[in-house]
Amino acid sequence: MEAIYLDNAASTPVAEAVRQRMLPFLGIECANPSTRYASGVRAAAAIEAARRKVQRVLCAQDHQVIFTAGGTEANNLAVLGAARSRGPGSVWIGATEHASVRRPSQALAQEGHQVRTLPLDAQGGLDLERALASIGPDTTVVAHMLVNNEVGTRYAIAPFFAAVRRKAPRAHLHVDCIQGLGKLDLSLEELNADSLSISAHKVHGPKGSGALVLHRNAKITPLIHGGPHEGGLRAGTENVAGIVGLAEAVHLASEHQLAFVASAEACRHALDAGLRRLAGFQARRTTDSVASIVSLTVPGAPGEVWQHHLEEFGLEVGLGSACQSKSGEISPALKALGLPDRDVRQVLRISFSRTTSVQEVQALVDALERLVPRLAEVPA
Amino acid sequence: MRDPDALVIRYGELALKGGNRRRYEQILRRNVAKALKPLGEVEVSVAHARILAYPKQRAMAMARRAAEVFGVTSVSPAYRVEANVEAICAQAGEVLDDYFARTIRGATLRFRVRVKRADKAFPMRSGELERVVADHVLIGKEGIEIDLREADLTLGIEVRGTENYVFLERLAGPGGLPVGTSGRGLCLLSGGIDSPVAAWLTMKRGMGVGFVSFDSFPYIGEGSMRKIEDLARRVTRFQGPAQWFVVPFTQIQEAIRDSCPERYRVVLYRRMMTRLASAIAQRAGYLALVTGESLGQVASQTIENIDLIGRAADRVILRPLITYDKEEAVTLARRIGTLELSSRPEPDCCTIFQPRAPVIFGQVEDCEFAESKLPMESLLRDALDRTRVQVLDPNE
Repeated sequence: MEAIYLDNAASTPVAEAVRQRMLPFLGIECANPSTRYASGVRAAAAIEAARRKVQRVLCAQDHQVIFTAGGTEANNLAVLGAARSRGPGSVWIGATEHASVRRPSQALAQEGHQVRTLPLDAQGGLDLERALASIGPDTTVVAHMLVNNEVGTRYAIAPFFAAVRRKAPRAHLHVDCIQGLGKLDLSLEELNADSLSISAHKVHGPKGSGALVLHRNAKITPLIHGGPHEGGLRAGTENVAGIVGLAEAVHLASEHQLAFVASAEACRHALDAGLRRLAGFQARRTTDSVASIVSLTVPGAPGEVWQHHLEEFGLEVGLGSACQSKSGEISPALKALGLPDRDVRQVLRISFSRTTSVQEVQALVDALERLVPRLAEVPA
Repeated sequence: MRDPDALVIRYGELALKGGNRRRYEQILRRNVAKALKPLGEVEVSVAHARILAYPKQRAMAMARRAAEVFGVTSVSPAYRVEANVEAICAQAGEVLDDYFARTIRGATLRFRVRVKRADKAFPMRSGELERVVADHVLIGKEGIEIDLREADLTLGIEVRGTENYVFLERLAGPGGLPVGTSGRGLCLLSGGIDSPVAAWLTMKRGMGVGFVSFDSFPYIGEGSMRKIEDLARRVTRFQGPAQWFVVPFTQIQEAIRDSCPERYRVVLYRRMMTRLASAIAQRAGYLALVTGESLGQVASQTIENIDLIGRAADRVILRPLITYDKEEAVTLARRIGTLELSSRPEPDCCTIFQPRAPVIFGQVEDCEFAESKLPMESLLRDALDRTRVQVLDPNE
């Protein structure tokens, strides 16, 4: 039985076109891009072509693209790099940030920075008024995600950052776009941001490859020191295959964006329609959320038990946030959205990619329906 | 300085085993050889109440590895020399110079030379050779005094005629008996801290250990079984490949949930596990069951409940941790490298349908009455029919 994979916010299958682009650099094209003979020059040229491709898709021709070993490193580089280059001050982060923003900000707190959390409104969106009232001119960094990885909420970053910039002109404004790529148009200018982070494996690219798009005037200090790679901001021999794969994945994500948004809407619609037949299930919906990430509260047994029972039907779905579920820790983002601990344990995350079909979503609904007698009555 | 070219491996209790001694030595030799082989080319033999290993590479890594093999009391990485005083003095001097080059010293160092002379043809008696070598190696060295009783540093020399050794280090081994000299036991292995330690302690007394685990999929994910597999692989490092039986346990737990009193659930789970493990042990030839139970540690481990659970077995149950405090088990788990794996957060099969108030002092009549409601025969047969077995190799 081939698995139906519905945890695409955790990772996605690598697209065949991406794999083909990468293959030469996992084989004969082995040269170090820093060398000057022909094969080394070819590798360096492949990296620069990848950079231009990413710049083109993200309208960042005038800005820097720094390739990293994934989205976590890109977020760390932005948050730590910008705060450290400015010295102690106030660092503001969103209430539902991913650990790759939360943890570095905790590290900054230990280094003497004031770290604060931005308030949410009753619907789980950014509370612009209260946030702006508290942000002062001593602010050095503001970091916020564009799309929440657990519930799909889309935050109004552009107007928020525009207002922050007037109040705190020194601040570096970073937006984590890892879950936004391929779903929304991304550009530093339109988001009023100084940097944005992306990750290849969320859009059918390879794992271990990401990028930070950095405004040409932004000032950050590097985290990794060594050779002069990536404009001195990220030392280490470049992951040529990963970079080439990232660029192709980003390019394809952009090509397919409109079609994907439409197919995700259709999947979401099929799920909502199917769930209406069943009692006790609740798909969270915020004022503004992407269609491809659905936070589903299940009745009876904990989400984890539902998750493994769905495996028996060949269905793989997410649980809270994949980065959290192994640690046994209650998702801080779901808690920030006001869910009590007990309810957080009842949450599954269903997420679609451009390979997800409406039939697959219907298979999920059928399986949930068949599991109701077995699990809906079991106490948590 | 060149790497050591021999390991002098000593063992303890075996020497006392009279008529069995040769067999025990051969088992230990084989166990040492199996442990060292993955590290590189090596010859292993028995001679003069020692196991001798001649590594062609990675001698120090092999010495540390040999010092993990049960039955071994100590291991000395050594240098082979010719049987003459000059050669011995020269090698001893080199070994000591190397030691001083690597070590920062403060206070005065108490030093001695210890000679074992098995070759009676050697022209110098042990005491004399000790003095000659000490005089030679200490020329020009400051801050060292000879102390025959309490030395910080002992230079060892063994003179055996064809094979002679000089060594400085002595790595402590785990002691115990060679695995394979005390039969075979089947360990009920969970993802917790205790059962891997119980397996290790059982191996320490020479018992070859196989494993049985209970799978509650789909109430619990695949990750729990992978965690247990990683633990089992880690422990097999101390004995070599082991069988691992995985018994599907979900139906039994559902049956107990549906037909038996809630507070007896965990005790009843464990009685079923004990029955299943007994049946597997019978078929696969294990003489004993092994568990990580510790008296009074949790509700199912009061003496009343341990007794109730034990009554479901048809053979002896070894409980090496029965008198251990949690801290003692944790210390051992850290030493054998299972603590980190056990700490990985994965749920355990006993946590499903967990009773709000588990029974503390269970009664045998209550257990038997509850079990009379279960289709015992078919539950056991079905679980055994669907049991999977694989051989876990520590090197895979």
